[in-house]
Amino acid sequence: MATSLVSSCSGSHSTLDPAGPEAAKVAQLFYVMLAGGAVIWIGLVSVFIYAARKKHQHTEENAGRVILWGGAIIPSVILCALLSYGMWLMPAIRPWVPDDQSVRRIEVTGEQFWWRVRYLDEADGIMFETANEVRIPIGEPAHFSLKAADVIHSFWVPSLGGKMDMIPGRTNPLTLTADREGTYRGVCAEFCGESHALMAFTVRAVSPADHEAWLAERSASDPQDAEGLAVFLNNGCGACHAISGTAANGRIGPDLTAFGERGTLAAGTLPHTAEDIARFVAHPGEIKPGVKMPHFGMLPEDDIKKIAAFLKELR
Amino acid sequence: MKSFIPREVESLWTLFTAPTVWAIHFVGCYAAVAVYCAKAATLDFSFGTVRLALGGFTVVALAVIVLSAWLAWRQWGFGAGDPPHDEPTRKARTLFQGFATLLLSGLSFVAVLYMAIPLILIAECQR
Amino acid sequence: MVELGNFSPEERAAQEERLRKVWKTPGGWRYWTSVNNSEIGLWYGVTAFAFMLFAGALGLLMRAQLATPNNNLISAELYNQAFTLHGTVMMFLFAVPIFEAVAIFLLPSMLGARELPFPRLSAFGFWSFLLGGIFVCGSIFFNAAPNAGWFMYPPLATDKEYAGIGADIWLLGLSFIEVASIAAAVEIIVGIMKCRAPGMRINMMPMFAWYLLIVAGMILFAFPPLIAGDILFEMERMFDWPFFDVSRGGDPLLWQHLFWIFGHPEVYIIFLPAIALMAMIVPTFSQRPIVGYSWIVLAAVGTGFLSFGLWVHHMFTTGLPQISLAFFSAASEAVAIPTGVQIFVFIATMLAGRVIFSVPMLFGAGGLAIFTIGGLTGVMVALAPFDWQAHDTYFIVAHLHYVLIGGMFFPIVAGIYYYFPFVTGKKLSDAWGKVAFWLMFVGFNVGFFPMHFSGLRGMPRRIFTYPEEFGWDLFNLVSTIGAFIFAAGVLTFVIDIFRPKPKPETRNLNPWNAGTLEWTNDPDESWGMRSVPIITSRYPLWEQENLQADIEAGRFYLPDAKSGKRETLVTSVLDAEPIQCLRVGGVSYVPMISALALGGVFIALTFHWWIPTIICAVITFIAIIWWLWTGTAQIPEAEEVDVGLGQKLPVYVSGPASVGWWAMFITMVGDGTAFASLIFGYFFYWTVHDDFTAGAVGPGAFWPMVALVLFVIAWLLTIAARQLNEKGPSGCRAALVAGILVSIAACLAGLAGPYFHGMDPTSNVYPATVWVIVIWTVVHGAVGIIMQVYCLARSLADRMTPEHDQDICNVTLYWHFMAFTAVVTFAVLGLFPMVSR
Repeated sequence: MATSLVSSCSGSHSTLDPAGPEAAKVAQLFYVMLAGGAVIWIGLVSVFIYAARKKHQHTEENAGRVILWGGAIIPSVILCALLSYGMWLMPAIRPWVPDDQSVRRIEVTGEQFWWRVRYLDEADGIMFETANEVRIPIGEPAHFSLKAADVIHSFWVPSLGGKMDMIPGRTNPLTLTADREGTYRGVCAEFCGESHALMAFTVRAVSPADHEAWLAERSASDPQDAEGLAVFLNNGCGACHAISGTAANGRIGPDLTAFGERGTLAAGTLPHTAEDIARFVAHPGEIKPGVKMPHFGMLPEDDIKKIAAFLKELR
Repeated sequence: MKSFIPREVESLWTLFTAPTVWAIHFVGCYAAVAVYCAKAATLDFSFGTVRLALGGFTVVALAVIVLSAWLAWRQWGFGAGDPPHDEPTRKARTLFQGFATLLLSGLSFVAVLYMAIPLILIAECQR
Repeated sequence: MVELGNFSPEERAAQEERLRKVWKTPGGWRYWTSVNNSEIGLWYGVTAFAFMLFAGALGLLMRAQLATPNNNLISAELYNQAFTLHGTVMMFLFAVPIFEAVAIFLLPSMLGARELPFPRLSAFGFWSFLLGGIFVCGSIFFNAAPNAGWFMYPPLATDKEYAGIGADIWLLGLSFIEVASIAAAVEIIVGIMKCRAPGMRINMMPMFAWYLLIVAGMILFAFPPLIAGDILFEMERMFDWPFFDVSRGGDPLLWQHLFWIFGHPEVYIIFLPAIALMAMIVPTFSQRPIVGYSWIVLAAVGTGFLSFGLWVHHMFTTGLPQISLAFFSAASEAVAIPTGVQIFVFIATMLAGRVIFSVPMLFGAGGLAIFTIGGLTGVMVALAPFDWQAHDTYFIVAHLHYVLIGGMFFPIVAGIYYYFPFVTGKKLSDAWGKVAFWLMFVGFNVGFFPMHFSGLRGMPRRIFTYPEEFGWDLFNLVSTIGAFIFAAGVLTFVIDIFRPKPKPETRNLNPWNAGTLEWTNDPDESWGMRSVPIITSRYPLWEQENLQADIEAGRFYLPDAKSGKRETLVTSVLDAEPIQCLRVGGVSYVPMISALALGGVFIALTFHWWIPTIICAVITFIAIIWWLWTGTAQIPEAEEVDVGLGQKLPVYVSGPASVGWWAMFITMVGDGTAFASLIFGYFFYWTVHDDFTAGAVGPGAFWPMVALVLFVIAWLLTIAARQLNEKGPSGCRAALVAGILVSIAACLAGLAGPYFHGMDPTSNVYPATVWVIVIWTVVHGAVGIIMQVYCLARSLADRMTPEHDQDICNVTLYWHFMAFTAVVTFAVLGLFPMVSR
């Protein structure tokens, strides 16, 4: 079993630490409701304690009025106001994006227990694929198309906004905006199997210029470590994993192109160190129960180390 | 109207009139938007039309609830027979039914009114 | 005013002797064949409580695992089984059954009845529940428990590799228990509507009865959609019919709809009976009648209705259109109003009374404080935008435990403290009770309040481990400590129940000075009411002078048991005027045998043991026919019997006047709801696909129309049989024979459509849906045929005569529903594909 999960650079992960307009508005809604709820609770409990301890009895008429006002009229008015606030907020934070409006979407597919990420162009063609880490530009809406490959997952970045389920057979849209640079952690929020607890991802919000540069650079890849690549390919890793610009073109597991840039390993489960990569390659099932990747513990230790070093530095 | 509907009903079912209207209204609204939003591509009217129609439906539902409330209020003697309605007589029983039906009409009215809020504030089939 | 009876001490002793003999609970191992409501209620309650302790232990196991980050106390797989079973057992094996137990135990005494109308049905329900419960709980000891969460979302739960036999155990075990719940609902509705003491008009009913009536009605509409869902689910798992398989046109969201159409009313099915207990406790300890009786009726009925408009708030993140979500937000906010009314009714009653703060009130008050927090967070998560953040996090875990423990568990404990003297004649200890309360109250809040924060700080639910750097570790450690304090409180309470207690020196049947009728009962006697009183008040023990003494002196109805049969009064629905002397079933093996055999069917199906399945099904069938043949619609020795107070009442009535007719009606309403759920499924697939037939052939229009017409003819023949029976048996028998033949032809014609068009149910969801609806209707047709044959046999055996026609009346009622089912089925399947694209 894993001893240390998740590295330190996995970022902020709280609905009360908002980094985007949706999360901020919902946090504000929460604080309003929290204040109102606290007042109501204290008021109700006070009335209850008074009713239990008072010295004289009230008349039935007065008691009846307490039901009418306290139980019916005041709650109806408060709830009406709250409902209007909430329903006004809903289209405000997730506005209508007509189908014919061409935007660049990021397609994220939930798989047991990782995230396939594809950057699409305006015509929904695949620009490139990556995994478990999403980069978005700040200040502009990022449009996600959410899918599931096997079972239901749910895509949730608490600091940016609410979650959206990924359901087999459906494509659910989600628009999130980050308004400051940073790293935000996301998780799978719908129970999806044995290692549901170990299915996280990272959102990196960068300036639009940096983002455009990254998109352009990301299309090409040039592995430097030829020996490591050879070990990687000779042991069949390329059957499941792809590294663009090499013979590795497997599509079953996460795409490993530019793996060295990522902050975490195994969908946010381990820190991104060469030792942890080696550990995961050798015994993935011990770290993530139920994972589909086979164990490679039978490989010579040296080969595993080479693969780990290769992946750690892969840009 | 008075000649058709007896002032004191000998049935438990009238109690459920107003909540049933709420239920029909609720299911009607839900089914209408669910089918419209799923089949929008094949239909040649806009979501605005659906909202308008459901708005009309809401007014009708509210009217029926008000009618149910009026009948209940009448049975309750226009407020003449105050609770607790706990005497062992048929009269107390009908007054109780009237008052309880009136209260349920009030709740159903508010619940239908709440349904109008989304119709006012949400203008598209967005997800 | 009627003249009350007056009996000499000798007469009374003789009456009591006869009553004691008739209502005697058998001794030795035959004790378990008892069907008395007091025995069944007690067994039911103790069993449900034991399941609760088991599920609580699983909860502690989970809390121990989550005490520290990256803990490896238990494996992911065991953790997943533990939380699935914890939720399943708490909801299906504790929360619902415990209320059925309390209802079965209390209702007859509260209503002034000797028994509920179908005691053997209660016994059948109990044995079903016990067997199903042990089956589901036991699975974890074989590492075979369900592991996909208590709402079992496909495709995870239909994945045979992940969710092995556990999912089948869940589906079949719980379907079996749902049958028991529906049986209890039938019993409760008929009992409340028809078995009240004379004079107990609907405005005089105890609050508990009002709540239970609504709750039982809700069960009829809430459980059948889940049964329909279970059928689809099990067909997929067992025979590969692709209802939830996307690659063949299925859709996992249909399960979510069907599950939550059940699942949300379920919350109120659990909550309302607990509030009903509070509505009995609060007036007693305020020493005055409840203020706002009509408001409680408003609250119960209003909640009952509105709770069916909330289900999508469990699906706010599934990507449905915002307008749909908004409707459910609106209804979810509206349901808070009747809930608030109930709380204010209690406050108003306390304001107008002199409050005695005893242990039951302490638990009630604690529950209220906790529940209000759960209610307020409920108002928060009812708003879709907030729920997008909170959904599936520990905020929800906190919310649901605040609602259920505050709204259900604390009131149940209050109710057990309150009613313990009613059950045993002894009181629980005040000192122990206070210790238990403070441990539970403090432990609960320490345990669950921090979960709000861990949830808002991003901790999803159902994770077996978590990293240490998001500030969740402290919250979780505190939660774990709180959970164990809470458990210590529960343990204290359990010890208080089981520790030996001395019998009180003076006999005091009403130690709390309560006003309601149940407190006239002597727990040492199994007859319930010594005589059935005339009620003129909501709180008869406070307001009717000398009531207790008159009841015990046998001065009211049914003071005797001369017939040697178990008898209770049936009264009219609104004004409770006596209309029948009902004979109810006594001690019998048959409920136990049929429940165990039916359990055998479900268990054997789980393991795909086809031959034991068939054997058990045959035993079930024979047992049920035997039960009906020997136990229902018995022709009495005399048409009328003396019920006391100079009144004679009929023993045998049929049609809408009889309890059996009502039971059939109520059962068929539930059955119709399950059918409606299947039809909903058909149209659901129509909305999610552009072409819902996926280009496959349908059943055509010809055979469905033939089946439709034949079913209508069979229905008309059944009605004719009932009419002709009034004139004499021969015409009735002829009509029945014709009806049987036409029904058989109708069933075959129903199957012919999909069969001759070669519809392959494994190829796509469209043929699968058509087949499942046709099979549903044909199975109902087959049951209809069995009923027709049964009536024919009863007529030939002279057990059904022109004067005694309960059987054919009830069967005709069944056929009304049957005809409706057939018309909808074949009209939809045959004609809808032609009018839709």
